[in-house]
Amino acid sequence: MKSFHPDRRKFLKLSSAVMGSGLILGMNWGCSAEDQNPGSSSANSFSPNAWLVIDDKGSVTIFVAESEMGQGPYTLMPMLLAEELEVEWKDIVVKHASLDPAYGYQATGGSASIRKGWSTLREAGAIAREILLQAGAASMQAATAECKAEQGKIIHIASGRKIPYRELVNAAAKLPIPEKARLKELHEFVIIGQSIPRTDIPEKINGKARFGMDIKLPDMLYATITHCPVFGGSIQHVDASRTKKIKGVIDVFEIDEGIVVVASDTWTAFKGKDALEITWNPGKNATLSSSQIADRLKNLPPEQGEITWQEGDSGAILSSGKTIVQADYIQPLQAHIPLETMNCTAHFRDDGKLQIWVPTQSPSKAYETAKLTSQSIIKRGLNKLFGSDDDIEIQTTLLGGGFGRRLKQDFVSQAVQIAQRFKQPVQLVWTREEDVQHDFYHPLTVHKMRGALDKNGLPTAWELLVSGSKISASGISPPPYAIPNTRVMIKNVGEAIPRGPWRSVFAHYNAFAMEHFLDEMAHAGKQDPLDLRIRLLEKHPRLQKALQAAATSAGWPGKAGSSYLGIAAFSSFGSHVAEVVELRRSEKQGLAVHKVTCAIDCGVVINPDIVKQQMEGSIIYALTAALKSKITVRNGQVEQSNFHNYPILKIDETPEMEVIILSNEEEPGGIGEPGVPPLAPALANAVLAATGKPVRELPVNLSAIKL
Amino acid sequence: MQIRINGSSITVDAPEDMPLLWVLRDLLNLTGTKYGCGMGACGSCTVLLDGEPVRSCITVLADVQDKEILTIEGLSKDNSHPVQQSWLELQVPQCGYCQSGQILSAVALLNETSDPDDEEINAAMSDVLCRCGTYPRIRKAIKHAAKTLRKGEET
Ligand code: FES
Ligand code: FES
Repeated sequence: MKSFHPDRRKFLKLSSAVMGSGLILGMNWGCSAEDQNPGSSSANSFSPNAWLVIDDKGSVTIFVAESEMGQGPYTLMPMLLAEELEVEWKDIVVKHASLDPAYGYQATGGSASIRKGWSTLREAGAIAREILLQAGAASMQAATAECKAEQGKIIHIASGRKIPYRELVNAAAKLPIPEKARLKELHEFVIIGQSIPRTDIPEKINGKARFGMDIKLPDMLYATITHCPVFGGSIQHVDASRTKKIKGVIDVFEIDEGIVVVASDTWTAFKGKDALEITWNPGKNATLSSSQIADRLKNLPPEQGEITWQEGDSGAILSSGKTIVQADYIQPLQAHIPLETMNCTAHFRDDGKLQIWVPTQSPSKAYETAKLTSQSIIKRGLNKLFGSDDDIEIQTTLLGGGFGRRLKQDFVSQAVQIAQRFKQPVQLVWTREEDVQHDFYHPLTVHKMRGALDKNGLPTAWELLVSGSKISASGISPPPYAIPNTRVMIKNVGEAIPRGPWRSVFAHYNAFAMEHFLDEMAHAGKQDPLDLRIRLLEKHPRLQKALQAAATSAGWPGKAGSSYLGIAAFSSFGSHVAEVVELRRSEKQGLAVHKVTCAIDCGVVINPDIVKQQMEGSIIYALTAALKSKITVRNGQVEQSNFHNYPILKIDETPEMEVIILSNEEEPGGIGEPGVPPLAPALANAVLAATGKPVRELPVNLSAIKL
Repeated sequence: MQIRINGSSITVDAPEDMPLLWVLRDLLNLTGTKYGCGMGACGSCTVLLDGEPVRSCITVLADVQDKEILTIEGLSKDNSHPVQQSWLELQVPQCGYCQSGQILSAVALLNETSDPDDEEINAAMSDVLCRCGTYPRIRKAIKHAAKTLRKGEET
């Protein structure tokens, strides 16, 4: 056990009048700078991210404000708290907290839930335990040192007398937050580190789980939207006469982003949308194309980049004519396409409240968006009285996938604009076609790489330029590799295609370029790619270990002949991951991915099975991008529209997988995203091993590769 | 119109060309069946029609008369179906959105074959998409459920 002094800004005992009787503790672990939303919470107001409620019937309820999109916060966060509270896991009930505007900023992204909650949730459990211990000791007229907490009871050690928490909560509720409490040492954990089954799974196998689209309210209307297919275009003329003749169509109108059809059910709304005859005014992006963008980036002179990292004199060495390796890598636009399309349900109630149900990764941004939208509606005199902050309530439903798409709140703004015209609640549902064509995409990037090798074939200098729209050089600036002469540059080139965070964000495109180029240099210098990495990663022992673990388990360097291995590694979101892709050649399929071996060091492991799940999911997500999907834009519009032309990986294309979890005592890192970045370069490196040819453009079509 | 869903007869007032998916979701509040593509390409909307998996987004009301429809809600009252049990045991779902379609497709497969091999699993499951990447666990869970079902038959 180690002591700590509770930080008063992080914990608050709420009076029982607010939430019923018992002991109620709110906690706040602040938020990182990237998530800060100015104006959403004032500096001294207390904004819990989670609450613990222990009532006098003995139930222990943990309210979690994170969004559950499959990555396990409904299980992981309560595990942290339960560990210190000394209650049995089976006695814990997990509920989702809806956003009260008083509760400040909530967003789930950047694999941050656990990283943010790690200390605070355990401390909250420890504080509650300490208060209960004090209450228990007092009621047994003993000193706290003579008592201990165990399995939901306070026990007087000498006599063995026990009092259950439920009998102590009302006394405990009157005690202040202690000056001091104690946290367990890692080796004392009994819940953390266990593969506890996920609390959200039982209702996900019987149809009871409520996603955004599953909200059903009395008299609810259904709406769908058509956006201008060309980015930034507008409506010139709409003929809705065919739509209006369809039985069940209730209304057709324009909002800021497009044309809305409201109907008695989703199918009728979709039919109404199809029947619209619209002339669009494509505007200034009428000739925009992704191939032009790629060409423009390819032709950028590297000197135009802004230097983000520099060490030694790469320029001198690269111009002195040693062995030079050079490559341009092109990575395409990618859509998120979570299986549940964008949707949001909104209701302007008679009592002046606006109620919103939405699968969002950021209830806070949803709230801000709803507020801004409704304010502008009021300004334009479209809506009657609509008052204070408290008049908006956001309920986050389960998310049918997120991957970063649901950090944007365009669908919330639309639902508010639509619902303000009706007395009834309205559910806005996008068709898959709108979802694919009106995403906030992974950027189209071009990386220009140059490297020089010394006479032993070892890299002595390299230059990396990343270019694209709203891109970042994070993760490669500085690069982890100790190459004495390094220069990293970035060139942001604005364009009209909407951009947004896509699972693992910058790490995805930067890892591919850096890690594949390292293999290109290894290949040119006749070095073993694994040995070269280990040698250059001396300052990054955790990444080194991950590489070694993945390589050993995958049987590196493989058997020559019919199977080929590629390896890559990348640190992101506080975790360190190495992956080995094994390609095999068969008569029937040609070259195919046979197996992926993944080793992750994510610090203290909270729930090994959830880590494994996230690695499996990340590998498949990344394989889809590396092998299959590519969004292209022509004449200002996305050419793909649904799964038939924007395919994702299927079960029969899924390789064997092995996940190795390297446990240690470092702070927990993220698990939702770090498994994505090493996959594409490991795959490309396996292709290089198999064919001697690098992969300069993604996705790669394995069946077209001749050996 | 009368249709049979999960063992009971239900009257629905809807046009004959309305896809079953939206009848279930919007008229009957059976929201376990999901919309993913609307064109038969993702399998999220899979239901069993006389035991056969069909895509309810492209199956219209007129086609389901006189047939027995099974949706995820009708599989068991308490998650006790061997496929659900196996899904729990192997912790298959992530976001969960595709899982009704996955589970019902697996149920149909296991009704046909008591011991499916990888090829048979591929054939039955490859058009049911999962963006979260639960495929490795789906494969294991099907094999595990098959084993339980076979044991059940022996005893
Ligand atoms: S919604 Fe029916 S197959 Fe996709
Ligand atoms: S579990 Fe999320 S789509 Fe399959």
